[in-house]
Amino acid sequence: MWKLFPILLLLLGTPRLPAQSAVQPAEEQARILGLENAWDRAVKEKDVAALKMLLAPELVYVDYDGKLLDKVQYLASVQSPTVLPQRIVSESMNVHLYGAVAVVSGVYRETGEKNGKPYMLRERFTDTWVLRSESWMCVASHSTSISP
Amino acid sequence: MKSAGLVTILLCSAAWLTAAQSGADVDAVTKVLALEHAWNQAEEQKDTKAMDAIFDNAIVVVDYDGSLRTKAEFLARMRSENSHPQIEVTESMTAHMLGTTVVVTGVYMMKGVENGKAYARRGRFIDTWAFKNGNWLCVTSQATPILH
Repeated sequence: MWKLFPILLLLLGTPRLPAQSAVQPAEEQARILGLENAWDRAVKEKDVAALKMLLAPELVYVDYDGKLLDKVQYLASVQSPTVLPQRIVSESMNVHLYGAVAVVSGVYRETGEKNGKPYMLRERFTDTWVLRSESWMCVASHSTSISP
Repeated sequence: MKSAGLVTILLCSAAWLTAAQSGADVDAVTKVLALEHAWNQAEEQKDTKAMDAIFDNAIVVVDYDGSLRTKAEFLARMRSENSHPQIEVTESMTAHMLGTTVVVTGVYMMKGVENGKAYARRGRFIDTWAFKNGNWLCVTSQATPILH
């Protein structure tokens, strides 16, 4: 439960963006970047409970190899015992807000072990977040491999 | 998303509208899917004027090789005399309406000649469209080769 606390703070701290003009886009962008980082941590720690909070039920996930996954399939892929992520970093992230929808683009790096062999991924990603019941949830995530 | 093409062939182009959408939502989704097809046509005909009207000025395009392109870079590539697209097909499109934003996922196939070499590509894409100043504009587009 305590592992979820930072995510709960980020989610519960989300104000009503469209209705409250006092909310600064920069604050909202920072909150969404916090959720992106929480996502990375959850993948590294195989924290499915945290991921369930971050991802919308209708999630569309396109992996770096073009595979299309729904939320259940994505969570299963994260839980795979043959994949052991060791380091996950998202960088060069930009957030674009369109009312209650936010699009984050950035670069994702992951190193670890898969089937006992080291691997390294470097991907360009685009995530689409939607503000729902005062919480941001990711509805679409798309990755494309780039050279390491 | 895609690259270019001379002839548009729309094969098995199907759109599933998410459940419980209002009439206005269905209209918006229909319009966005029509714009997706207009995009294909514009690329095929190297119609940069049409593309200019479809793309938001701040669009973020992640191409099939992970390269990041601005609107100006994308349009410049379209104009390139080294690029000779021949066929572009979009299929299996699904659109999700999220307030004033529509997220479209689908598969594209394209053939053509680039720098004197023939190419054939098949990939998955996600495009995000935002309703701005009375028009639907594409704000992000990402493609990933289907390798599996």
